[in-house]
Amino acid sequence: MSGTTSPPRVVVRLGSLELANPIMPASGCFGPELGQIVDLNRLGAMVTKTVFADPRSGNPAHRLGETYGGMLNSVGIPSDGAAAFAAELLPRYRAWSPPTIVSLGGLTEEEYWVAAERLADVDGIAAFELNVSCPNLEAGGHELGAVPAAVERVVRGVVDRVSVPVIAKLTPNVTSIAAIAQASEAGGAAAVTAINALQGMAVDPKTRQSRIGTTTAGLTGPAIKPVALRCVWQAARAVSIPVIGVGGITTVDDVIEFILAGATAVQVGSATFTRPDTMIRLVDELEERLIAMGVADIAELVGALELGPAHHDLAEEASAG
Amino acid sequence: MAGVVAAAALVRLPDSGVLAPKQPKPVLAEAPVIGNVAITPEYRRLTLESPAIARSAQPGQFVMLTIARPEDPAPVLPRPMAIYGWDREAGTFDVVYRIVGEGTRRLARWEAGSAMVVVGPLGRGFTLPDRKGSVLFLGRGIGTCSLTSLAGEATAAGFQLHAVASARHRDALVGDEVYRAAGAVQVVTATDDDGSSAPAVLRELLAPLSGGDLVAVYACGSNRLLALGVELASATGAEVQVSLEAHMACGLGFCHGCAAGRPGLPHETPLVCADGPVFRYASPGGGER
Repeated sequence: MSGTTSPPRVVVRLGSLELANPIMPASGCFGPELGQIVDLNRLGAMVTKTVFADPRSGNPAHRLGETYGGMLNSVGIPSDGAAAFAAELLPRYRAWSPPTIVSLGGLTEEEYWVAAERLADVDGIAAFELNVSCPNLEAGGHELGAVPAAVERVVRGVVDRVSVPVIAKLTPNVTSIAAIAQASEAGGAAAVTAINALQGMAVDPKTRQSRIGTTTAGLTGPAIKPVALRCVWQAARAVSIPVIGVGGITTVDDVIEFILAGATAVQVGSATFTRPDTMIRLVDELEERLIAMGVADIAELVGALELGPAHHDLAEEASAG
Repeated sequence: MAGVVAAAALVRLPDSGVLAPKQPKPVLAEAPVIGNVAITPEYRRLTLESPAIARSAQPGQFVMLTIARPEDPAPVLPRPMAIYGWDREAGTFDVVYRIVGEGTRRLARWEAGSAMVVVGPLGRGFTLPDRKGSVLFLGRGIGTCSLTSLAGEATAAGFQLHAVASARHRDALVGDEVYRAAGAVQVVTATDDDGSSAPAVLRELLAPLSGGDLVAVYACGSNRLLALGVELASATGAEVQVSLEAHMACGLGFCHGCAAGRPGLPHETPLVCADGPVFRYASPGGGER
């Protein structure tokens, strides 16, 4: 409707990291292999699968399942380890221009630090995203992300060892995601990502078995979008660092909703499986939508949710009392 | 690919089981639906138009079909489907499927005139041996649909095609006409309901192959048929290739939903999607065939 206006500004910042646009993949739902069929140079950033310090195998089959509007996965983060990642996989990302955010994992606080140390001086890493939230790890791996003090120590330990921005990816499987976000900020995180997968499950009534090898799994996709929006909203109100929103984002409406709730950038996960060109379409449609909305800079929309007179902040009440 | 073979339970898959790459570059296409019709009481054939896929696909490769419509959140996962056959001139290819759940029920509702997101051709397909002779196709149920695309190629290259299409009952048979149209010298349709699918029956019918010039066996959809193929192949030193099925989310190699590796090893290869779906079979006893 707005005639000959200049294109809206979609550049966003995560600490010292500047992205050409706010659209990036969710860790685990992306790899350079996708570049065979879509132009990865259009993305705001690329996010690797989670890298552990040492090699580890993933979970037994079945690793994938489907629920209405969602999917279950229990891949369990197979990793060739930090050294092999730096030598073999990371160079494949460098064929593309967007910054590469490397996801780090661990079962203990020290494992994150070791992984960070091994990658600290490697060229081509624009930021680290700490996966303190995978629902499919053995004991230790997911409890850690539910304890604010542990998250703060993990983040601080990595921040002390690297020179690029550190992002903490938060689990929704906690009572107060605001508390975990605040702990991340206290530890020196440049941003937080909300949310990782919800814990979920699917049962085959005929065989009386879980449809997933590990019985429980991570639920993602449009089915979790309302939970993710709520978490982004609560995290964004609790911290002054940027929030990266993720959880069921499929359409440009979803992107706008997450940004209004407080997200500075967004990640796309399951929707890349549904349609591998989803992120590229969102980059295109976001610009069109901002023009239609009369928004000159996407920053105007971040956290611009308008609260009605009946607004009722359950989280604030919970933490107050 | 579209079979029912559980990868880990079935075959020892050393890295050397991965066949040599012969992979055309995959594309993402919004492919017009040309047809989506019942071809037997149990099976339906979806015909899509994508010249890029139809002209580059290799026998045994697969596609990922996005069954969800743009306005619909389900199903979230695309479906890996073996390419049943193609018309390179018309730029179309076929996928044959059976309605087994919500995803395929929705797939059956796609009508000619709409356009479906499809990625392909994907994976490493079958290879024909250098040595000329007889080749044996062993497919069961929907698994046969992973083998059909190799039939014409094999006969055109001068191989004598022997094929078994096995199923629970006659309505579940599929693919045997493709074998006949390709000029197969022997087509066996075998079903459980009349006992004709029993290994002893098939062994007798196929016995002459093991005393002859059998050079390759291609299997999909049945452990029993695969075991029979391995037995027949061992007599002549024929190669055995098997197409595997697995749940997949990406089809390209980054989701790791389909890893077929042995538990406890850090390396996740092979992936059914990117290293397969066709593997050279190596018997548990040792050597590759």
